[in-house]
Amino acid sequence: MNMVRTISVHGYEALTKALSGIQGSVYILFSGSQDEYGVSWCPDCVKAEPVINKNLEKAPSDATFIHCHVGDRNYWKKQDNEFRKDPKFLVKCVPTLLKFGSPQRLEEEQLFKDDLIQMMFEED
Amino acid sequence: MKRQSLGRGSSSKKPTSLSTLFSLSKNSTSSNPSSSTSGGRNSTLITGTVVTSPSTHISSTSPSTHISAISPSTRTSLAKDLSSYKKKSGILSQKSSKSTAAFRSMPPITDGVKLEVQKIINSSNIVIFSKTHCPFCQKAKDLLKSLNVKFETFELDLNDKGAEYQAALKDLTGQGTVPNIFIHGKHLGGCDDLLKAHSDNSLKDIINKMADIPQYDCDLIVIGGGSGGLAAAKEAANMGKRVTLFDYVEPSPIGTTWGLGGTCVNVGCIPKKLMHRAAILGESIHEAKAFGWDVPEKVKHNWQTMKNAVQDHIGSLNWGYRVQLRDKKVNYVNAYAQIVDKNTIKAIKKNKTESTMTAANILIATGERPRYPDIPGAKEYGITSDDLFSLPYCPGKTLCVGASYVSLECAGFLAGFGLDTTVMVRSILLRGFDQQCSEMIGKHMSNHGVKFIRGAVPTKIEQVEKGEPGKYRVTAVASDGAQIVEEYNTILFAIGRDPCTKGIGLENVGVSLNPNNQRVVVDASEKTSVSNIYAIGDIGDGRPELTPVAIQAGKLLSRRLFNSSFTTKVDYTNVATTVFTPLEYGCIGYSEEAAIEKFGEDNIEVYHSYFMPLEWTVPHKEENTCYAKLVCNKADHERVVGFHVLGPNAGEITQGYAVAIKKGATKEDFDGTIGIHPTCSETFTTLHVTKRSGESAEVTGC
Ligand SMILES: Cc1cc2nc3c(=O)[nH]c(=O)nc-3n(C[C@H](O)[C@H](O)[C@H](O)COP(=O)(O)OP(=O)(O)OC[C@H]3O[C@@H](n4cnc5c(N)ncnc54)[C@H](O)[C@@H]3O)c2cc1C
Repeated sequence: MNMVRTISVHGYEALTKALSGIQGSVYILFSGSQDEYGVSWCPDCVKAEPVINKNLEKAPSDATFIHCHVGDRNYWKKQDNEFRKDPKFLVKCVPTLLKFGSPQRLEEEQLFKDDLIQMMFEED
Repeated sequence: MKRQSLGRGSSSKKPTSLSTLFSLSKNSTSSNPSSSTSGGRNSTLITGTVVTSPSTHISSTSPSTHISAISPSTRTSLAKDLSSYKKKSGILSQKSSKSTAAFRSMPPITDGVKLEVQKIINSSNIVIFSKTHCPFCQKAKDLLKSLNVKFETFELDLNDKGAEYQAALKDLTGQGTVPNIFIHGKHLGGCDDLLKAHSDNSLKDIINKMADIPQYDCDLIVIGGGSGGLAAAKEAANMGKRVTLFDYVEPSPIGTTWGLGGTCVNVGCIPKKLMHRAAILGESIHEAKAFGWDVPEKVKHNWQTMKNAVQDHIGSLNWGYRVQLRDKKVNYVNAYAQIVDKNTIKAIKKNKTESTMTAANILIATGERPRYPDIPGAKEYGITSDDLFSLPYCPGKTLCVGASYVSLECAGFLAGFGLDTTVMVRSILLRGFDQQCSEMIGKHMSNHGVKFIRGAVPTKIEQVEKGEPGKYRVTAVASDGAQIVEEYNTILFAIGRDPCTKGIGLENVGVSLNPNNQRVVVDASEKTSVSNIYAIGDIGDGRPELTPVAIQAGKLLSRRLFNSSFTTKVDYTNVATTVFTPLEYGCIGYSEEAAIEKFGEDNIEVYHSYFMPLEWTVPHKEENTCYAKLVCNKADHERVVGFHVLGPNAGEITQGYAVAIKKGATKEDFDGTIGIHPTCSETFTTLHVTKRSGESAEVTGC
């Protein structure tokens, strides 16, 4: 079975670089980064990740899934950080999962729910 | 247990002051010393002995109906006030567990709690509300087990909200004790009732009858995912019902389609208000100069930029609805639905695959679509509001045909973008609205670049040039027979909307339509001529065609359908509305002419005044343009039966007054209200010129 391609990036620059030249649908998960001990400052992100991963197989096989670690808490809390400001993303909170270039996005506890995530991965 | 009249009888009168509440609570403790209760959780109030006997009763005088009118936050502070009051008055010091208990027994029964209880009742064929230590409950459970029937148990004492639920059950059934047993949603009674039903063999019948009740795929099928349909579907799902919602958008003649959400979201309220806003901003930019902003002489509007931004927002709303439906477990099907028989729907998908589905109840909420005139070229070359908001190119020189609010609103914002805009109307503007105000809107639009052709109708449209936009020749005939010919880039028809009641199988089941307008005949509870088929929103005959009306109808309908104790119906009187023309117009109740017809000229006193918004003075905008008018019934204490305002943000002004009018405000109430200065709305608190006096309503100076 074909699986989605999964990429993990850290920070805004890396994300924009990863996005250039990608074909097919792109899903981006924005979540808080881990500290040097591997601990995330965003408990909801930690809770959402396994739910999303479990449902990745439902995504179209030519899709790309980018897991973007936005940075540490201080960076994220800045109301004018790039992820919040870039009109392509306009991320309001983490975790956010969005289908790039579409209005489809799920936020926070919506990402604890299998059927909502599946709905986003379904092609319509 | 008999219900005492104190709580009930006065339940229609909501408490208006703390003292009312005090006296009620005092009564409930002292006049009913025998009431006892089971474990509540109103710890703010009392720390008393918890009585848990199988036959505990909730205080019969529970003033819960009163308290439920108060928001949770005020409730807490009320509770504190009450307990300190009681301490002072020595009630607590008596250490009477009875009065304490009675006091504990007033968990608030909010609508939310009632809904939750109903959801539990609906969750299974047999539901027992019980308590873990109650021997009677055990007995009931044992009996059902021995009969080998499936049932759900809800242990009130294991739930945080147990006491609230018990109070709600008491309110619902009159029974405050446990076990409280429901079979197929119907209240059976307590342990004794169950034993009795068992001994006289009726229990078997009741349970067996359940098997006879036809099983449908869903409890509710909703046809149409617009304002009304979505609201009804979500509310029914909130109550644990199985709901399927069909929504399908037939492309417009030029092929425009859109997503889930219906007219308001996609091609109505939302895009039009945003485009209205875009136009108002353009006007404000010019005014900004007077306030010191250095603005270039020529500012340009980009249609595509605005259109894309508006459509992006709509896209996120479409997605949001899908998320909500999925989250609430409403089965959303993107298919065209037709009624086959009173319980069966045929669904046709875009790829023409068909399927059927059954339901106990069917709700039709299919809305309306724009009407085209029956003239050559109308459908080939014309567009409607269904197309305008997503038009990929700037419409250019535009003719808006029709005197509806849709026509005037669209003409208003198009002219605001600097486009050459003309409105062609057969006779009066805004039929049904106050005619004085309607004419003032027309005058304001004329003064702001909109051309009007009155007393004329188009007779044909021919293409002159293809393109985006193309060029079309419109031939029209005036009432005096004269022919008018003119070329436009875009022709927008806004001559009215027809209900989507054709082709959906209403004839298969005999749902009655009003033959004059093809709208569905409905009663006050939104029921059609077929007992399990309902209709809400724009297709309902005589219903105000507004989104909040459809939403309220959908929500209340589902509550009534699936909660037998809920009876509230929509109050369709005095629904406020606003026309978002460049000069906004808000109104509530009767137009001046309708009031005169209804109450008689002698009984009607009209108070009115122009007003000058402070914001308009510095940029020297025109005087005597904004207008306030109250239509009062002298035969009824000058009760305000019509409210009319023309001015900036009229929608925001009008909404608040809608509450006052709903509460029956009189002119004296308006006069006794102190205004907020400096606002436009304050004008309504100082109206003194009557039309009858003939004095001028114009304002001069400040
Ligand atoms: C230009 C414009 C501006 C407006 N502005 C305002 C405003 O400012 N304020 C306001 O309150 N109201 C406004 N309205 C009115 C408002 O949009 C309607 O009152 C409201 O949408 C009615 O809701 P509804 O549920 O009855 O139908 P709709 O919202 O029209 O939804 C009906 C849905 O059913 C679907 N459907 C139809 N037939 C079938 C079928 N057989 N199977 C499946 N699906 C079907 C339709 O495609 C549609 O999605 C405006 C309307 C227009 C046209």
